[in-house]
Amino acid sequence: MLSISNLHVRAGDRQILNGLSLEVGAGEVHAIMGPNGSGKSTLVQVLAGREGYEVTQGTVTYRGQDLLALAPEERAREGVFMAFQYPVEIPGVNNVYLLKAGLNAIRKHRGEPEVDAFEFLALVREKMKLMQMDESFLNRGVNEGFSGGEKKRNEILQMAVLEPALALLDETDSGLDIDALRIVANGVNSLRRPDRAIVMVTHYQRLLDYIEPDRVHVLSGGQILKSGDKSLALELEKRGYDWIKQAAA
Amino acid sequence: MSAAPAITANPALERLNGLFEARFASDPLLEARRAALAEFLKQGFPTQRNEEWKYTSLRRLESRAFVPSERVPIALEAGRQPWVHGAGLRIVLVNGHWAPALSSMEAQPPGLTIVTLAEWIRHDPAAALDYLSRAAEGAVSSLEQLNAAFFEDGLVVRLAPNTHVDEAVHIVHVWTGTQQASMSHPRLIVRAGHHSRCTLIEQYVFVGDVESFTNTVATIELEAGAHVRHYRLQQESPRSFHIGHANVRVREHAHYFAHDFSLGGALSRFKLAIYLQESGAHAELHGLLTPTGTQHLDTHTRIEHIAPHTTSTEDYRGIADDRGRGVFNGKVLVHAGAQKTDARQSSRNLLLSAKAEIDAKPELEIYANDVKCSHGATTGQLDADALFYLRSRGIPETQARVLLIHAFAQSVLTAVESVPVREYLEALLTTRFGPVQVSS
Repeated sequence: MLSISNLHVRAGDRQILNGLSLEVGAGEVHAIMGPNGSGKSTLVQVLAGREGYEVTQGTVTYRGQDLLALAPEERAREGVFMAFQYPVEIPGVNNVYLLKAGLNAIRKHRGEPEVDAFEFLALVREKMKLMQMDESFLNRGVNEGFSGGEKKRNEILQMAVLEPALALLDETDSGLDIDALRIVANGVNSLRRPDRAIVMVTHYQRLLDYIEPDRVHVLSGGQILKSGDKSLALELEKRGYDWIKQAAA
Repeated sequence: MSAAPAITANPALERLNGLFEARFASDPLLEARRAALAEFLKQGFPTQRNEEWKYTSLRRLESRAFVPSERVPIALEAGRQPWVHGAGLRIVLVNGHWAPALSSMEAQPPGLTIVTLAEWIRHDPAAALDYLSRAAEGAVSSLEQLNAAFFEDGLVVRLAPNTHVDEAVHIVHVWTGTQQASMSHPRLIVRAGHHSRCTLIEQYVFVGDVESFTNTVATIELEAGAHVRHYRLQQESPRSFHIGHANVRVREHAHYFAHDFSLGGALSRFKLAIYLQESGAHAELHGLLTPTGTQHLDTHTRIEHIAPHTTSTEDYRGIADDRGRGVFNGKVLVHAGAQKTDARQSSRNLLLSAKAEIDAKPELEIYANDVKCSHGATTGQLDADALFYLRSRGIPETQARVLLIHAFAQSVLTAVESVPVREYLEALLTTRFGPVQVSS
């Protein structure tokens, strides 16, 4: 589904990714871990199409297309979704409007009819129940006045409604207490499907107790230094990152 | 080097003097007018040396030769009437003169009296003169004096105590079909009796290609417990100059609400001065300015907290694009003794092009020690993070921009309680910035 080859990315005069390669297949859940400043967030931002990064080398192929050639909105319509580490507050644009506009843009792109109001509300209510969100969320401004945990739940709600093929979760666990983490993880788990891939970036092993990854990668210095199964995460928890860096050096 | 003060002949002032003599030589209020004119001539047009006019130059206005506007009969079929429809009792002034055929003020609800200023002066010249000379004493700007010299018509709205009027009083000023560049100096006088309630809609529009100068003065008085909601929609022609003054006096527990939309004109300047004179007096201001092209739109507010326990809130927003220039100057003055004042002001401005400019200047002057005053002013471009967030959910960039522009104006629009006015303004913003596509 996603094939990243020898990716080099720069922001300003800082080289952040240094020849990163990664293969993610349909149905798989990959966790990307690594110390601060290793380039984890840059990777998902670049995949989602955030401006301000320069790809100097390498390719990203998503379902046979050159992902980097697409505008952010085109990526979204092709099924790429990023759950933000810091979801943006947008007063004056309400949540329900954003969900509907996003969903309809995607449906239109797929040649499907726009969703009707009744159907849409039923769908959103069902997903809100899953995320244990209150009805009042709908008519508030996007993330406006939400707590950190509410914002993260709202990201997964959007993911549940938009049904992406490739979900990129950028530190979705950060800032969550244990109850909120459980809700968010349940949401993500319920969205695991054979035709959907999930790439999650995280600092902490604890997320992986709730969302069990198929593959774990260690990103450091802009490259993937080591990959393994979920046992790698446990080892990282015990031993930290230095042994991998030393082994790679 | 010192020299005797030179008496420079200013052609603009001389021209106004000549026009005055020709027009008002036999006017019943000649003396009062002449006193106002003398005051204006002494001061001249405000210049940028005056701190109040730092950002706004009137040289373009001064260089144009405007003549007093003539009454022009117009018939406008419904489709061409540019004003808000169905907003309330409508009074239309065309080129500054009352146009009864376009107005619907016959059926006045009990307790509400609306007369034209010309009519008032005809029926009760002594009272009118007395009122106008008192108002002239409070005039701060020379342009108010110019109005007092040249005014011809306008409206007097009186609300009896305890009267609640549901229907808004909708005052429309239309410019149309002038042969020469014309000026008008309309006046609005409102007196809301104690515990009365009403809504005013003051609207300035044009039909056709018009070069005009409007110089308007409103005097609004709220007696104890009165509530007045005042919409002001300035949508003058691209070749027009619009100068507006509103002086509002608010008595005990009275509430004044202003909704100020500066949208049109080549150059516009509105000065809103509010005097919270007695305890419990409250003012709530919502404003939007949208300069584009080469428009220069300036709003100055001045809120004086004179008595203790007075409150005010201000939410002003500017959206500038192209080479548009906006000015927001919000002054809050808390008098000594006005303890427990609560004054909050916010000015937020959005620049949509590199050449657009908005100058936001909050000014707080506080002479009491137990008060809560806050202000904040921001000016910036569309939030790149918000734009990316919307795009990452599949919304095209152009649509995301439109959405964010409308969202920026949202708080000012949702404060508009009149449904016809709100829908009218939403349609204007849609024409201006593009539609928010609300899918079914």
